Order: sequence, then C-alpha cells, then structure tokens
Amino acid sequence: MSPEVWAYSESEAVSNEVASAAADVAKMSSADVVVVEIGANRSGVKAPGTKLLLKGPAGPEVSPEVAAEAIARAAKQRRPAAILIGATRNGREIGARLAAKLMFGCLSEVSRVASDGTTLSGERNAFAGKVVAKVECALPAVATVKVGYYPATGSSPQGESEVDVGAVQALVSVVGRDKKAVGAVDLKSAKVIVAAGRGVKRKEDLPMLEDLAKDMHGALGCSRPLSSDLGWLPEEHHIGLTGVSVKPDLYLAIGISGQLQHTAGMKDSKVVAAINTDKDAPIFQASDYGIVGDLYQLVPAIKRALAARR
Amino acid sequence: MKIAVCVKNAVDETELKIDSGGKPVLTGAVTRMSAFDKNAVEEGLRLKAAHQGEVVIFTVGPPESKKTMKEALAMGADRGVLVAGDPTAIDTMRTASMLSAAIKKSGPFDVVLCSEGSSDAYSGQVPPMLGEMMGTAFVSYARRIVVDGQTARVERSLEDSVEVVEAPLPLTASVVSEINEPRYPTLIQIMQAGKKPIEELNGDQLSPAGGYRQASTAAMSAQHSARKHIMIEGSLDEAAVKLVDALTKEGVLSK
Amino acid sequence: MVIYTPEHRRLMEMFEPARHQEYSDILSSLGGFMEKQILPISSKLDNGTASIKGPRRALFEQGMSQIPFPAKHGGLGLPFSVYATAVELLGAADASIALSVEIHNAVAEGVFRYGNDAQKEAYLESIITGKKLASFALTEPASGSDAGTMATTAEKKAGEFVINGSKMFITNAGEADVYFVFAKTKKGPSAFLLDAPNKGLKFGEELPKLGMRGSKTREVLLSDCCVPEQNLVGEEGKGADFAKEMLHGARIVVAALNVGISQVAYGKALTYAKHRRAFGKSISEFQLTREKIADMKSGISAGRLLYLYAAKLKELGHDYSSEASQAKVFATEMSLKVCDSAIQIHGGYGYTTDDLHRHWRDARLLTIGEGTSEVLRMLIARRELARST
Repeated sequence: MSPEVWAYSESEAVSNEVASAAADVAKMSSADVVVVEIGANRSGVKAPGTKLLLKGPAGPEVSPEVAAEAIARAAKQRRPAAILIGATRNGREIGARLAAKLMFGCLSEVSRVASDGTTLSGERNAFAGKVVAKVECALPAVATVKVGYYPATGSSPQGESEVDVGAVQALVSVVGRDKKAVGAVDLKSAKVIVAAGRGVKRKEDLPMLEDLAKDMHGALGCSRPLSSDLGWLPEEHHIGLTGVSVKPDLYLAIGISGQLQHTAGMKDSKVVAAINTDKDAPIFQASDYGIVGDLYQLVPAIKRALAARR
Repeated sequence: MKIAVCVKNAVDETELKIDSGGKPVLTGAVTRMSAFDKNAVEEGLRLKAAHQGEVVIFTVGPPESKKTMKEALAMGADRGVLVAGDPTAIDTMRTASMLSAAIKKSGPFDVVLCSEGSSDAYSGQVPPMLGEMMGTAFVSYARRIVVDGQTARVERSLEDSVEVVEAPLPLTASVVSEINEPRYPTLIQIMQAGKKPIEELNGDQLSPAGGYRQASTAAMSAQHSARKHIMIEGSLDEAAVKLVDALTKEGVLSK
Repeated sequence: MVIYTPEHRRLMEMFEPARHQEYSDILSSLGGFMEKQILPISSKLDNGTASIKGPRRALFEQGMSQIPFPAKHGGLGLPFSVYATAVELLGAADASIALSVEIHNAVAEGVFRYGNDAQKEAYLESIITGKKLASFALTEPASGSDAGTMATTAEKKAGEFVINGSKMFITNAGEADVYFVFAKTKKGPSAFLLDAPNKGLKFGEELPKLGMRGSKTREVLLSDCCVPEQNLVGEEGKGADFAKEMLHGARIVVAALNVGISQVAYGKALTYAKHRRAFGKSISEFQLTREKIADMKSGISAGRLLYLYAAKLKELGHDYSSEASQAKVFATEMSLKVCDSAIQIHGGYGYTTDDLHRHWRDARLLTIGEGTSEVLRMLIARRELARST
C-alpha cells in the first residue's frame, strides 16, 4: 500500500492550496494524496487524490482542539507518512498539537515542501525575515504550509473513505465570532500601505485609492506634495525623509516618481510594488514589482482582481 | 492566582550578523527577550493585579538567559525558574517538554502564558505543544483574557475575525502583541530585580531527550535584500491579475 | 534609532569593570524608554504642538533624576558617570527635555550638598522623584558670567527674607514648584529655596528661543517676594561659592547633553549620505563627504570620552573643575560643528526642515549657557598657569 500524504485546513480555499502542496510531496515520494474532512464533506474542498472523512465530531466547522484530536486519532489508525495543514492561525495550532500528540516533528509555515520518501523538508523565514531556513524532519511528520504560496487545486476527488474517530470532548468552546472591524489603520503599524503621489490628478480621486487600501486591510499614505503642497491629506499621511517612516509588508506606490525624499521613508518595506506612467521613474528601481501604466485604469483592474480571488 | 509566563532569550535579529558566505552568525549572537514575550509578562502581571497571586517566569536556555528573566522580574514578576539547556541542541518539542515539567514541578498554576511565537524562529509551536503536555485547555492568539472564577473568556485574534471562546482553568494560552502595552520598569525596579530569586533546574533531568522525531534546520542563508525589479507586462487586466497573484504568493496580501 | 549603543556598552565596561552589566541594563532600559516615548515627539516639542510636561513627568517616574543620589534620599546611588550618560541619551532623544531635567537636577544637587537636614527632608526626595519641579535662578538681565555683580537683593525682616530683583533666561520658570534663587544680602550673594506660587513671584512672557523650544524659558520677577528664613541654604554670603560648585558638575552633564545632540544629528546625516545620489553615485563616495563623516565621528568620540573622564574624576573625589570645563567647551563647540555638517550634508533639506536644523539650533545654546566658552577657557588656562612647574 502506498504511503499517504494528508492535507487539511479549516478554510476551504486554503485546503485546496494544501492539497496542491500534498500533490507535490506525493509525486516526489510515490505517495497518495488524501484530503481530510472532519464531520461532514464540504463542497468547496477539492482533492487531487482521495477524500477521507473523519466521522464522529459534529463538522464541518470544528475548533483546532477538535480537529487536532480527530486527525491524531485517524492518523494512529491510518499511519500517514506526512500530514500537511494550512498555516492559518488555527492551522498552526493544529499542526503543533498534532506533533505533540503523535510525537512527530513539525515544520512551521513552510513553502517548497518536499520529500524523498524518508524526510520531509521545506523552506521558511526566520529572524524576522532576515534569513531563509531549510528545515527538515524524518517521516512521519507534520508540516504547516504557508498560505498563498501554493495554487488552489481544482481536481475532483477520486474516491472517498471514512474513519470513525468517535466523539471529541472539547475543553474550549466557541461562544461568539465577529468580523474584524476595518477601522482607521495607523501607518506605522499598517501591514499594507497604498501611497498616492503626484500622478493622482485630483483630490477627488483619493477615495479610489483609499478604497483599494481598505480592500487590502491597509492604510492610505502619500508623498510630500499631496500633503505639504496641496494639502489633500494631513501631514500624518506623508511618508518620506521629512515625514513618517514605515515598514509594512506591502507598499503600493501609485503615481509616485520615487525620489529619495520619498523612498527614504519606505525603503524597509518587505515588498514594494509601483504603478507609474513613466517607465524611467526612479520608483521602479526601488520596487519588487512594477507596472508601467495609467493608475486610473490599473487601480480599478487591481480591485477587480482582488475581488475575483474571494 | 498562580500565573506562569514562558519567556525566551531569543537571538536579537536586529543585531544578527551575516558572514561572507551569507550565513547567519549564531555563535555569540546578541540575545534579548523575544519581542512579544513582554506582552505575555504584562498580561500575567495584569492578571496578578486583578486576582492577587504570583507570577513566575519560566525560561529554557543557557545561563545567559538570566538577563532576560531579570527584565521580566523588573516588570514585576515575583520569581523565575531557569531550565538549563543549550538552545541550539533543543527543538520545540523538547522545549515544550522541559517547560511543562518545570511548570508542573513548581505548580499547580491557574494560567500559563506564552507569546504567539518567538521573534527569532517564530514557529509558534511551543505554546500549543505546551498546552497538550500540560493537559490543560489551550487557546491561541489571545487578544483579551478575562478570568471569572474557574472560567476564562478569551478573545482570539484570527485573520479576519475575532472569535470568543470559553475555557476552564487551568488554562494555557498564547497571546498576540495587541493584547496590551507592556509597562516600562522604573530604574529602581530594574535594580531590585537582581534580588528576586531565580531557581535553576537541569533540563536533561527534567526531560530526557528522545522518544520523538526532531525537526532540524539543514541550512540557513540571508535573504536577498535587493529589490526584484520585476516589471509586469500584459494588458490591464492581465497585469493586474499577475500583480495580485505575485503579491499573494509573497504572502503580503491576506485573503 | 537605538539610543544606548554597543559603543556605550564598551565604554561602560572600561569605566565600570565591576558592575558594567548592571549599569548597562539600566541605561539600556532607559534608552529603550526614551526611544519609544520621547524621541517620537521630539519634533513636536520643537514646533510647539506637544507639551514637555507629560514626557518629563514620565521620565521622572522612570527614575531619571534619582540616578546619582543616595538611596536614603530616594535615589538610586549610581555613579555620576551613569547619570551623565543618561543625560547624553536624553540629549539624543530630545535636547529640550534634557535641558529642563538637567537644570532641575542641578537644584537637587544643590539641596543635597548645601541644604541642612530639614531642607533635604522637605525638598530633596520630592525634587528627585519629580513631585516638585525645580528651577535654577542665578542669571540676571545685567549679570551672567560675573554673577558676583547680581543686583537682586534679599533683606532680612522679621523671620523672613524679602527678595527684590529679576532673573533672566530661567529654564522651567513659570512651571516650577521650587526655585533655587540667588540674591545678595548684607553678607553677599546667598542662596534661597523659594516655593511657588508666591505673592511676590511673577514671570515674564515665554522667551522666543532659537532652539531648545520644548523647554520654557522666562524672566523671573521678584517684587517683595518673601521666603521664610529657614529657606536660606547654607551660610549667608556663600551663595557665589555654591553656584560655582554646582555649575562644575552641571558642565559635565551639559557636555554629555551636547554629545547626545551630536549623535542624533550625525546619525541622520550618515543615513542620508548613504542614500542620496548625485553625479551618478551615492554622495557618501565623495571625499569631502567622507571627511565630514570622519570628523563628526571623531569629535563625538572625543567629546564622549572627555565628559566621562571628568565624571570619573568627580566620582573619585579629585578636583575636576578644569576637566569639566574642558569637556563642556569641547563638546559644545564640537556639537555645533557636527550639527552644521549634518545640515550641509542634507543640502537644501538641511536648511528647510525643522527636524534637521533643530539639532544645531538646540546645540547653539550651550556654548553660552552654564558658563560661556570664554569664561571656561579662562578657568582652564588659569589653572594651567598656576601649576608650580
């Protein structure tokens, strides 16, 4: 019987990514992909292999405590070679709990998951992103897979099986859930910043960029002319040498030429993307991704692309 | 109420040097309290203030870790327990196992707190493993903890939502940095921290090695810091989609 | 910006081999506090959109003014060099607060050295814990360096001293709870502790200063201002001597303050030099920029060592007045050069950005205040010439 690589996430979309990761690993190690569901099957979950339903808990929405226990019980019966969990916050809890329950090694938030049949390996960031580490562990092992790295698989499952794991007593019970309020985000703590520059022609066009920032759960900033000269935004939004210094995960510079006095304030951003009509604009030298084009057309196009993902 | 707070003497990533081969220099690296551990200590101190009791700091690490424990003691913790161990020879499972044994030995505790992850490795594995080994209720990513009698009501900070859960004491929890603003110890508190007791335990005796598979780091290299300068081509919509895909793959766009 | 640097740690190891770890932990924590709570509002203190009161109070609560005083008076009993370093760090975080706090501490020093037990009991702990803000009132409109010619008088009358006159350029004036005031009695210049508010105590408008704008400076007007006779500090007529002594220590601290200002201005210039490009390359590749960098760095290192040297002499009980003056003259003049080079390196931005030129504006006070460079040079030379060989 071929070894099994299991894939699970409490989120359907992430489950499909983990399934792709599992497919990669399975291919390298001549194993079978098994996508795990708990309690009940979810229609949005695809599988490039078979589906395994864990019967017993009242699913399909289960807490990380219940998911970990259910998967551990099933793993003790079915003995998979590797268990991949999507590295959402809940997923990271599930992964670590599984490792403790099964006495497996755990690779956290990895991309480029690989296996040679005896070892599971992956790559992850360490030291606040300064370092890339290759981590590995002897099989059987658990890994939590970096969200967004793998494409979602669209494959349909080629069969289903079940394991009865029995009821799981949970100590922790969920009593409520609220969508996070998207309030005013402070530039210094924002993970995403959309910054407006002189390419924006009128003050009335700023809400379009602010909307984009909101879509990305981010904040709106600007280069100096928009705050100091034109007064379109208060000085607190001015990013640059004489303004605020920021280090978000994503900095999207829109219609900003990219002079030093601006880039000095955002050079520590993790990823920089820029849109400008001028292909020689210095901002592209300071960016990871650039598009030469008209922001008035690109910003709506990006909004559409974002919406399409959901 | 007895509160245990786990604190790590982590490598200070702002002072981390990279050698000419692009490898991080870990031997002799400058260390300090892991960034979010202060939030965990602060939360422990707030629980102590609300319920009267004791806050005990637990650390697994070399003798050098005492300076980090002293910072926690300066903030107001009562005493510390240092489990001697070489951090390069210990993995998350063993760390959790040593912490669990030490906490049980000094216990029983009503609440055990950790930060969501250490600032150097940030695997976030130790808190859930610790919860399993302690055999208590475990809640991760807590942004608010309220204890009423023998029940804790915890708000969990998830990607797009806040989940409210209830759990019985004893509780093990990991906290996020938004939970509180850690206090600054006054200079006098820093000076007096040196007088608070730190008990030293032998890690190997508490938790012998072996019995599980250990994850290890095969290689490390510095991140390439230069910008990628990738120009995205294509029609408007194509370019927009490519950009969103690239940013998603970079992990900087949440779903 | 990290305020307490590895360089500071190394110096601490050299100067305090026995307890350097402990002192570094303390200063590192204090530096961290300043980075988070003081540095971010520094430009607002300069442009008047934030008040000094909150941050200053927070600093007192941290224990800033307790550092060099003995534990029995509520102090931390740490060496003077630790205190001086703390002021350097504060000078880097915000020069105005550093000035306000340093002057407040100078009064605490005066009460500690010259006050009697009752005065220490009533004032010392409250001042060093920041419960009472103190102000040092010596300079007058017509007498600065030659304090002996002060015109403010204090007349003894029925269990009180009645003070008349005015003081000029007084830091913390109008905000302070207690003033260390110098006035001439029949026996000569004497020192008094004056509690505010007081019927005879009024203040002029806030003086518009070139720099140090976060700290408030005013004229102090004393008109039949009565203080109880037990508020005479030390012996009547000895005030001039007290002032001289208090100022020696203060000069070490002022030198440290300006080293701090230099450090922050230099740091900004270094960062800018690396990123600014001209003629196809970074301006840091030009020799004349490198010359400035080298000179700034050397000046700061020298200034720092000089104040630490003077501080150590003071701790060890040696005569340190000349070294304190050397440190002050050197460090304050050096800081002006460093801040000027920092402006120059920033080019047009240096001239047009408050947050860049304020370092020079802040530093500019201290070749004047707390002993002008001219007077201090005379002091240094006089001592040298008085040597028997």
